[in-house]
Amino acid sequence: MNTFDSKYDMYPAGDVGVIEGEMNIPGRGPSSGDNMEFNTLDEPIKETFMRDLRAVGNKFYHVLIPREKTSLLKEWDLWGPLLLCTLMATILQGSAERADNSNDGGPEFAEVFVIVWIGAAVVTINSKLLGGNISFFQSVCVLGYCLFPVALALIICRIILFSAQNTFLFFLRLVISMIGFIWATFAATKFLGDSQPEGKKALAVYPICLFYFILSWLVVSHSNV
Amino acid sequence: MSNVHTGELLNFQDYSPEHNERTARIDVEAVHTNQYNNSNISNQNYSFDETPGAVPEAETQPQSNHNFWTIEYYQKYFDVQTSEVVERIISSVLPQKVSRNYFDEKIKGKPDLYGPIWISLTLIFTIAVSGNIASYLQNVNKAVHWRYDFHLVSYAATAIVCYVWLVPLALWGVLKWTTLPDGQDEIETQTSNSPTMISLFCLYGYSLSIYIPVAIFWTIQISWLQWLFVLMAAFVSGAVLIFWLLPALKKSKYFYILVGSILAFHFLLATGFMLYFFHGPNAVSAPGVPVTPSVATIAP
Repeated sequence: MNTFDSKYDMYPAGDVGVIEGEMNIPGRGPSSGDNMEFNTLDEPIKETFMRDLRAVGNKFYHVLIPREKTSLLKEWDLWGPLLLCTLMATILQGSAERADNSNDGGPEFAEVFVIVWIGAAVVTINSKLLGGNISFFQSVCVLGYCLFPVALALIICRIILFSAQNTFLFFLRLVISMIGFIWATFAATKFLGDSQPEGKKALAVYPICLFYFILSWLVVSHSNV
Repeated sequence: MSNVHTGELLNFQDYSPEHNERTARIDVEAVHTNQYNNSNISNQNYSFDETPGAVPEAETQPQSNHNFWTIEYYQKYFDVQTSEVVERIISSVLPQKVSRNYFDEKIKGKPDLYGPIWISLTLIFTIAVSGNIASYLQNVNKAVHWRYDFHLVSYAATAIVCYVWLVPLALWGVLKWTTLPDGQDEIETQTSNSPTMISLFCLYGYSLSIYIPVAIFWTIQISWLQWLFVLMAAFVSGAVLIFWLLPALKKSKYFYILVGSILAFHFLLATGFMLYFFHGPNAVSAPGVPVTPSVATIAP
């Protein structure tokens, strides 16, 4: 006890608060997930590929049926958003020939790409600025995966566009993209809503709504037959 | 005190023998909130005395500590609750609902950028969407195969971003350099000097909120109704702007010129929106905005 007291006296009294740091022991423990434990060096490349693909497909499933709140947040990846974004941009892009009169005023491929990625980034930065406790890429991942209903609506609208258009079919497309919009917003809100402090939730959810609303507007306006 | 062996002090493995976690972490926030005896430190075999000198220092630090490039620096401009944002939007349309010195007390003291940024973005896309609906309604009875024009977004964005940033900047500069020195009572000039740049951005951003519902109503293709909306929206939000800025404007040498130009810019913005995005094909194009081929094809 005597030795300890003399040691304790040597601590400077005031600046306890400046100690800062993090200590990590590299390598995962056995408790942190058993699927990471096996050796992937000698497996066929098909298995590696299929495992990643299954992870992406699993996340799509969770977006469609958003029951578990943390299912998308555990391990983020951007493969799903990239797939969806590329698909949407490919379908939505308008022809660039403005010289003749067949201009269809749609966005360019790059413009859809920019809207999706910059939009997701802006929404994420907004929620970070509001004080949400979620990492940047987690939020971008969730926002990207939640595009899935909107992309589904786009595919259905695309199929509808193959037939001759009339007013009923337009309203059908409108309803389908509305459903996609509501579904996407609901899923994203379910995953991201809890990261905000009380009283700021609506401020964080509104940009998400706007983001999906813009994309749904692009979907319903797309009429490039 | 100087000959303390630092390697001995920082030997973490001795302090938490019963923790089996692989990651040891010292929570700096916990130190800031004066919880010295939380789980990380409590099972060490000594406890700190209360250190009264450290706590006030830790409380005052977050105001000035953050670098300009970090996200924490900007968090003070987003520190608003939902009810505050709603109240500020109301104050930009109906100032009689809030107290008379709402601007001086609330907005000047705690300007936020959430409202201006998201109101501008909403307005950009509202104008793009309802501009397309308007051009559809103009062509609904014609044989023309109508197509939507995505690029209205770009034009709306350019106009609104320019307006929201450049006009307050100019106003701030003018107010700063033309304010008459108020010789009689120095104390009053100390308390209510000219508004800061951020609070002007905030005020201008919120003043655009009335255009969002108006942009939806502009799709109704009746010319006199559209002009009525222009006059109403520009007058209401311009008048509210003047109302909040009146104490600062009165000190300027060019009081009438400033009031006139604030109102004129507001009318110009509303007229430009209406003529360019919503008006029928017989309209002239908006002043200062070049006619692009896309618009010519939409409104033949």
